[in-house]
Amino acid sequence: MIENKRTNWPVMICLILGLSTIIFPLYMTIMIALKQPSEMTNSIGGILSLPKSWSLDNFREAMRITDFWRSLLYSVLITGASVVLSIVLHSLLGYVLGRTKAKSKFYSFVYYFVVSGMFVPFAILMMPLAKQTAQMYLANWAGVIILYVVFYMPMNTLLYTGYLVNIPVALEEASRVDGATTWQTYWKIIFPIMKPMHATVAIITALSVWNDVMMPLIIMGGSGANTLPLAQLNFQSQFGTNYNLAFSSYLLALIPILIFYVICQKRIINGVVNGAVK
Amino acid sequence: MKNERKRTYLLITIPILALFICFNTVPLIKGVIYSFTNYKGFGNYDYIGIQNYIDLFTDARIGKSYLFTFKLAVVSTIVVNVLSLLLALALNSKIRAQGFFRAAYFLPNVLGALVVGYIFNYLFTYIVPAVADMMGAESLSTSILAKESTAWVGIMIVCAWQAIAMNTIIYISGLQTVPEDVYEAGALDGATGWKKFWKLTFPLIIPFFTINMVLCVKNFLMVFDQVMALTKGGPAQSTESISYLIYNNGMSGGQFGFQSANAVMFFVLIVVVSVFQMKISSKKEEQL
Amino acid sequence: MRKIAKSVIAFACSLFLAIPLAGCSKTAEGVTEIEIVQYKPEAAAYFEKVEKAFNEQHKDIHLTIYSPNDAATVLKTRFIREDYPDIIGIGGDINYSYYVDAGILADISDYQGVKEINPAYLAIDEALKIVPVEGVYALPYAANAAGILYNKDLFDQYGWEIPTNWEELMSLCEEIQSDGVLPFYFGFKDIWTCLAPWNAMAVSLSDTDTAKQVNRGETTFSKAYRELAEKYIQILDYGPKNPFAYNYNDACTAFARQEAAMFTIGSYAIPQILSVNPDLNLDSFVLPASESSEGNVLNSGIDLQFYVTAECKNREAAYEVLDFLYQDENIQDYINEQTAIPCKSGEFEISPKLNSMKPYIEEGRMADFHDHYYPSEMAADALLQTYLIKKDTDQFLSNWDKIWPRYNRDIIRAMEKYEEEN
Repeated sequence: MIENKRTNWPVMICLILGLSTIIFPLYMTIMIALKQPSEMTNSIGGILSLPKSWSLDNFREAMRITDFWRSLLYSVLITGASVVLSIVLHSLLGYVLGRTKAKSKFYSFVYYFVVSGMFVPFAILMMPLAKQTAQMYLANWAGVIILYVVFYMPMNTLLYTGYLVNIPVALEEASRVDGATTWQTYWKIIFPIMKPMHATVAIITALSVWNDVMMPLIIMGGSGANTLPLAQLNFQSQFGTNYNLAFSSYLLALIPILIFYVICQKRIINGVVNGAVK
Repeated sequence: MKNERKRTYLLITIPILALFICFNTVPLIKGVIYSFTNYKGFGNYDYIGIQNYIDLFTDARIGKSYLFTFKLAVVSTIVVNVLSLLLALALNSKIRAQGFFRAAYFLPNVLGALVVGYIFNYLFTYIVPAVADMMGAESLSTSILAKESTAWVGIMIVCAWQAIAMNTIIYISGLQTVPEDVYEAGALDGATGWKKFWKLTFPLIIPFFTINMVLCVKNFLMVFDQVMALTKGGPAQSTESISYLIYNNGMSGGQFGFQSANAVMFFVLIVVVSVFQMKISSKKEEQL
Repeated sequence: MRKIAKSVIAFACSLFLAIPLAGCSKTAEGVTEIEIVQYKPEAAAYFEKVEKAFNEQHKDIHLTIYSPNDAATVLKTRFIREDYPDIIGIGGDINYSYYVDAGILADISDYQGVKEINPAYLAIDEALKIVPVEGVYALPYAANAAGILYNKDLFDQYGWEIPTNWEELMSLCEEIQSDGVLPFYFGFKDIWTCLAPWNAMAVSLSDTDTAKQVNRGETTFSKAYRELAEKYIQILDYGPKNPFAYNYNDACTAFARQEAAMFTIGSYAIPQILSVNPDLNLDSFVLPASESSEGNVLNSGIDLQFYVTAECKNREAAYEVLDFLYQDENIQDYINEQTAIPCKSGEFEISPKLNSMKPYIEEGRMADFHDHYYPSEMAADALLQTYLIKKDTDQFLSNWDKIWPRYNRDIIRAMEKYEEEN
């Protein structure tokens, strides 16, 4: 990318102003995470004030209650595996459907069939899935991963096929002329070129998986293994919620996924260079 | 040569499709079967024919939830798409600390539902009314979530606040497929920037616009977390979304069979709507 | 790039290969495994302690207690997998009725501990069965009570007196208001809190088995609940200006911060209130909904009880676990931590914050929460919130009567079938 020294200041100012809609809630979250339950009030001054004493005790306690490192391990494992499998499988499917759905009735049907899976309300699948995964010995983290890969397939396929529209077929044709098989061409030409989309899919899938409670709850619930969101349920019950500990815990859980995002979003931009072949 | 390609395509499609059918279609069919029963979620059940479907059409609560959900979805989709497209353009333009801004605007999407619920409840219940009192805005002096006529706006705001991040990412990745010179031209000539965007950039990112529309419609029609966090269906049952009913009455309550029927109807309805929507926009894409 | 792709695939494959390994778990031989799933995550620390103590004392039984959040969902998914825990701990509400009906629970009438339970609570369980079924299926553990929590310091300061009937309550509210204090705080934004005053008043103003009477066609809610409904909206005048703006947590915080004199909620709210203000001097009294003090009844229901499942393979071991759970020291620990009321007969020290409710408990002058008979999907709480907003008694009651049969179709059918057969 050519660095342009001129900064677009009006846009900058708008962005800074817009930032207040994010900074303010974030500030509240951090303040609550640092306070004690006895410092909670219903007044504006009370909620915005700084904590009486600065200490990271809440974070320590939150980590203890959620069994942080173990839960983190499960979260990272499930999220990581779901993302990797999603990128490999969904991009393949997206590629095939993107190249064929306009010409073939069969693939067009497959495309709409898969994409419409996006609209199946999860609640209707929950009971049958709970039973089915148990019968297949998949009532564990591995089952959760497989289900995520299936569950995000419609959306990711939609994303990949959409991206493929802007990738000219000529690129593949050239490679084929050189004698490469379709499979080879895909991995050599198409897969790398879809890098910005991989990053996008990675972010969207990772984020949805990272924050999801329902799937691990019904599939892994009671197996003794917890993901972070599952462990975080410990802070709330109908008759009382410890917001202070809960907020500390949510802030802790936010850090890994934010780092992941920062890394991935660079790939989206780098895609400009790679994608500029067009 | 052609055969090789066809075979590869099939070899890729079949296993993935099999996986999808096994863990999506098969359970869905089982769910459809449950919709003809009075299953509570455990214990014995009887087949009751289309009784559940008859009930669906005679239940005022169900009708109300469809109206609310579609209203919310349409308005949120428009708001989110407009704002996230603007944000994507802004974040993609020549600004300083681009990485920082991109990360910051992504934050709303990462905060858990409990945090978002608490913060916005606080905002709507205490902060907004206090500010409105100071400025003498009568209509905002009480929480918008407490009034039947405005509660949906509160939910819409939170939905939009959270969803903009995701849609922006998709638009940003779409903007990467647009050749550099389009921006350069647009950036140099500020006065006609809008026209250039409309004539040059926008047509190129139409596939992403389609994706975002579909994703928005999907996400907002299935709105659940925000309703749980903000209103729990109140006030006066004015914000019960379809997913809220399906989950609360079907999973937590004992209406699994009935809510399966609701889910089936809902599914058929959105598939029809969005296949229609996608067909239209893919026609447009082909024309371009 | 190809290398990356290959390693990605290799990684994916190895993940699939690893799956069978994850399914195995080992159990030592000769040791009986007993698993409890209980639904109160707020009591998780207590149950961890019990689990540890039990396992230290018993070498032949290994006990595991899970306290998942959203236990209702966890239990349902486990039922559908036919993976039943040995013992379940949930409250005495309509789910218990369903479980008995579905044959999930075992008859434990042969268990010695049943005799030690306060008969009033066993009667509550008996009444909750959809149709009379021979046998005891639940062992009540702890109860909660709902009524009015009040700020004792404020009451002493202004010299307000505890009301004993409805008229006194209303004039007390007037008095508090004229002293410039807010009488009640409500958190009606969280719809479930609308049920708290409703239940507390319902026990004095209508029969506990109102729902069953309606199911049998003996009465209608329009008749049975009219007085209750009319009195219920009267308390609204003594609450904050817009009670639908505040949720349960706001109300707890406000009451803890002395912003109101009273709070119509159950004993279960005490820990949350005290977490905000540990020094708050709070006490409670029975909500006097009746015109005469004799007519008042304490609203108390079973908050936690244990069930042995029909699938439990080792009944003896399960009973041994129950023996341990129901030891007096353990129950005392539990009620101290949760400000609860024991369901076991005997000398227990009940929190002084529930002092005024004690005579009712001893006399057995109490009745179950009416909402334990309402199917949750009917959303009685949401109906009540709607009523409080619209204040149209006739419309509220007739609507209740109208939708009730739809949500209770199966229950009514089961009752009719039972009547026919007997």
